[in-house]
Amino acid sequence: MLKIENLTKYYGNIRGVEDLSLELMDGEIFGFIGPNGAGKSTTIKCIMNFINKTSGNIYINNILVGDKNFEYKNLIGYLPSEIHLYDDYTVLEMFKYSSLFYSNKALKRALELSKRLELETNKKIEDLSLGNLKKVGIVLALMHEPKLLILDEPTSGLDPIIQEEFFNILKEEKKKGTTIFFSSHVLSEIKKVCDRVGIIKEGHLIKVDTISNFNKNNYLNIHIESKDIEKISKELNIDIINNNFIYQGDINILINKLSKYKIDKLLINEPEIEELFIDYYKEEVC
Amino acid sequence: MLKRELKITRKSLFIWLFVLISIFTLVFAMYPYIMNETSGVSMDELVSMFPEEVLKAFNMDIADISTALGWLKTEGITFLLLIYGLYASILGSNIILKEESDKTIEFLYSKPISRNKILTTKIIAGIINIFVLVLLNTIFINIGLLICDCYNFKEINLLCLVPLLPTLVIFFISLCISTFFKKTKQTIGISIALVFINYFIYTFASISSKIENLKYITVYTLADIRNVINNLNFNIINIHITIVLIIILLFISYKKYNQKEFL
Repeated sequence: MLKIENLTKYYGNIRGVEDLSLELMDGEIFGFIGPNGAGKSTTIKCIMNFINKTSGNIYINNILVGDKNFEYKNLIGYLPSEIHLYDDYTVLEMFKYSSLFYSNKALKRALELSKRLELETNKKIEDLSLGNLKKVGIVLALMHEPKLLILDEPTSGLDPIIQEEFFNILKEEKKKGTTIFFSSHVLSEIKKVCDRVGIIKEGHLIKVDTISNFNKNNYLNIHIESKDIEKISKELNIDIINNNFIYQGDINILINKLSKYKIDKLLINEPEIEELFIDYYKEEVC
Repeated sequence: MLKRELKITRKSLFIWLFVLISIFTLVFAMYPYIMNETSGVSMDELVSMFPEEVLKAFNMDIADISTALGWLKTEGITFLLLIYGLYASILGSNIILKEESDKTIEFLYSKPISRNKILTTKIIAGIINIFVLVLLNTIFINIGLLICDCYNFKEINLLCLVPLLPTLVIFFISLCISTFFKKTKQTIGISIALVFINYFIYTFASISSKIENLKYITVYTLADIRNVINNLNFNIINIHITIVLIIILLFISYKKYNQKEFL
């Protein structure tokens, strides 16, 4: 559905992305993760043809993305990270306006999705909270039943209940065969819904893997409080500083080992994305 | 899309129209009174106090300013040229860049329509706005002069419509400039400055015979008011020049707009 070949984008002398190649299969949810400034938005803007590529090609359903082709955008539902819509319109007017670019069914589906996301359609865009604006963006991206969904930080501003409903909608879309390009810097949500993940750092796609493989090599932040802390440190062969350490590997093995000791407190968290990238950086240097 | 564009620009159009109509109402209401209150000095004597060049610059050598129609032919028409020019420059600068500055253009760019179609719609909306402003103001001036009892249908309408030529060129120049920039405030300043520069060159080239040739570099020469007053027709060459200029500006605008990046 989406094929990127050797994509390079420079803003003058500043690198956006460099030699990025990627292929998304029909019906997969692909997580695209990286810290701020890594090149996620640049990649998306190239896919949407908002900016001119320095070199490389992008194909959507085998159609070359370029200045003269624009019909392929029928196939795309796009959710930007920041939603900018017409303040003077109500939500319903915004849906009606957007539906003019698609088939007649689009408006009906927009109203269905609005109900699911608990969105009030009579409110003016300028009066919407950040979360509600995001919901409007989600409906606008999905209303014409696109074959490819491009989502840039889709959950920012959404409350947990609506996030859950949104993930359900994504899973339904996947069942229908929709390909989803899910860009985020939140590792946990990528793990939750994606089939594969691509990690972008300083403009380069440094790793593409399935989520199951990614989880195997998972890094976890562990906070442990115990009288046997020194023994645990020896057993795990890990330095435990201020009761904290980063663990890599199968969590079940860790729990097995820890079960031998009396534990007062055990906290297991996902590392922040920056911590994860420090680790990838170390791997590259080695 | 066109409906949306017209909705966005409607408020500004009516503000400009209101300002124009208010000024003309004031003039038409006050003019006969002012003319009767020249404290014994006849209008001919008053006019003769001005240097010949100044009279020529404001068409006072070929028009009688003792009537409201005379005022339209002199100060009125130069005022119209300036106001229409300012409106067109702001409209031309804003019509693309406003949406880019507000980032709402991202919505349109993600839809299955070409950039050419987006630009064409915006240009049509701009032209409709300019025509509505000029035509409604022309209708109002017709009514005003009819009441003032100094009515000449052909002369009034030719005078009111001839500013369309420089106004359209200014709109397309501003539009073209805006395709090179990313923010409205960068473009509006340049466009308004261009209107004033053109206006002053036009005025000074009329006053001084030494710099008379400068009139060929100002868009306001396209209006050729003296020809309308003297011959009651439009200068065909100026219409052709206007069309050629618009085609060149359109070509550059479409080319640049298609290459433009939305960051």
